[in-house]
Amino acid sequence: MNDPHQGVGAPTFTASHDPARDDAGLLRRIGQGDEDAMAAFYRAHGRVVFAQVLLVVGERVLAEEIVQDTMLAVWRGAGSFRGESSVRSWVIAIARRQTRDRLRGQRLRVVDDAFLADQPGSDPGPEVMALDRAELAEVRGAIRELASAHREVLGLAFGSGLSLPEVAGVLEIPVGTVKSRLTAARTALSRILDKKGQNR
Amino acid sequence: MNADPTGTRSPHLDLGNLIAGAAGQPIDDRAREHLAGCEHCQREANRWNLVADGVRGLAAAAAETAQPGRPRRTRRRVLAGPWRRVMLVAGSAAAALALLVGLGEVTGYVHVHLSGPGTGTALTAVTGCSQIQLADGTLEQVNGSSLVIKAASGQPVTVTTTATTFVSMSGPLLGDITDGASVMVRGSTSGGTIEAAIVTVGQPFSAVNPPGFVPVQGTVSDASTAGFTLVTSSGTRIPVTTSGSTLVVIPHASLGQLQAGATIFAVGHAGPDGTLSARAVAAVLQLRSGLLHIGISMKVKDCSPRSIEEALGAISTAPVSGG
Repeated sequence: MNDPHQGVGAPTFTASHDPARDDAGLLRRIGQGDEDAMAAFYRAHGRVVFAQVLLVVGERVLAEEIVQDTMLAVWRGAGSFRGESSVRSWVIAIARRQTRDRLRGQRLRVVDDAFLADQPGSDPGPEVMALDRAELAEVRGAIRELASAHREVLGLAFGSGLSLPEVAGVLEIPVGTVKSRLTAARTALSRILDKKGQNR
Repeated sequence: MNADPTGTRSPHLDLGNLIAGAAGQPIDDRAREHLAGCEHCQREANRWNLVADGVRGLAAAAAETAQPGRPRRTRRRVLAGPWRRVMLVAGSAAAALALLVGLGEVTGYVHVHLSGPGTGTALTAVTGCSQIQLADGTLEQVNGSSLVIKAASGQPVTVTTTATTFVSMSGPLLGDITDGASVMVRGSTSGGTIEAAIVTVGQPFSAVNPPGFVPVQGTVSDASTAGFTLVTSSGTRIPVTTSGSTLVVIPHASLGQLQAGATIFAVGHAGPDGTLSARAVAAVLQLRSGLLHIGISMKVKDCSPRSIEEALGAISTAPVSGG
């Protein structure tokens, strides 16, 4: 009944992102030069974008700069939003391009992980069992050690409130590849945890 | 349920459902039912949940200390004109809101923090909505549409309600699980039987959604003191066991159902005479004040009824979801 993976200490509860917020309306106002709308947009999305960028780049100052550049791009390009995606995925895609531009020359580690998609083993291997044994704090630490491409997809899938198709849109890859990349990320995470467990 | 690349059909949930579930996004009823009875998929779901919790924890930690509106550039760049003003406005707002972030901040704003003994203050401010106050204490009596609660300081506080006040109740209320009732069950599964941790009776309540449990919705049949049979919309019958530690949540209760001695959390507008005109009231029987004194700080996204109800709903599952 008790979930050993729940955080200990003071309980924290969260509720869902407000679906009633009119993000598209905010963008329209931003496109007309409405500074209050820009501030509201920043409040609505700034922290999520920052967390995602920080997860990828791992450096706070750089992440702050990328977020600023992202918001600047929003300010300048709000009028170009066509409503073909959610505003959240749109702004995260902008942030991703800003990140890529900043990290140009530091090519993200490419992981050939398609084979792993949708093929969970029937018996858990030792690495998966390492995940079963892991505490949340250990998992957080291990995520930091992942390749940036893995951190990125995990952050988009679980930290940004995006659906899998939206994640695919941001990454400009098929949904199946998102799944395979997530699976590879989890496998890599399990390996890190397994290694740490063996070293204890 | 899962078409794998070899063309054979796996009996287990596909990756998309597992990931969606871990991401807090909806999965279809069929997948939910399968998950309730499949230990293999539950183990997989738990692994993805752990990964997702790790990511969300990192995101929350990043955001809690972040002041992204304050420029700390490593290279020279001058922001001029309207954009500079916008960044200053946005930065101030971001800084003001930075503490509203809890675990999973990327998707939520409601944050309830339970801690040690209360301050004894009759009314306390609710962060995120300066117009409303929180009163908490022990229910002394119900007088028509008013409640009298005793704060930790011993001071009585009168809480008035209207027809639109949201009233919820939670506790070991197994007697409220009756045949024909629509319920949402959350718990752990073993051998096809759900050991219920939380049973929500009546209209589902989105705020009652602590992580780590698989929710299954259906109708109660064969209710007894030891449990009941959950009949899903597809007719599947799932045995559910209950115990003294099963938390029953009634999201839409009436004042008449509230019991003296219950711990009450009420939020609303403070009156000049020390009363509280409540917008929402949560009676939390599992936190009877005689057994446990707690302090609470509540932070909400805004002053909307939904935001406030969600905060109260979160309190309703405090000990189970709080670990």
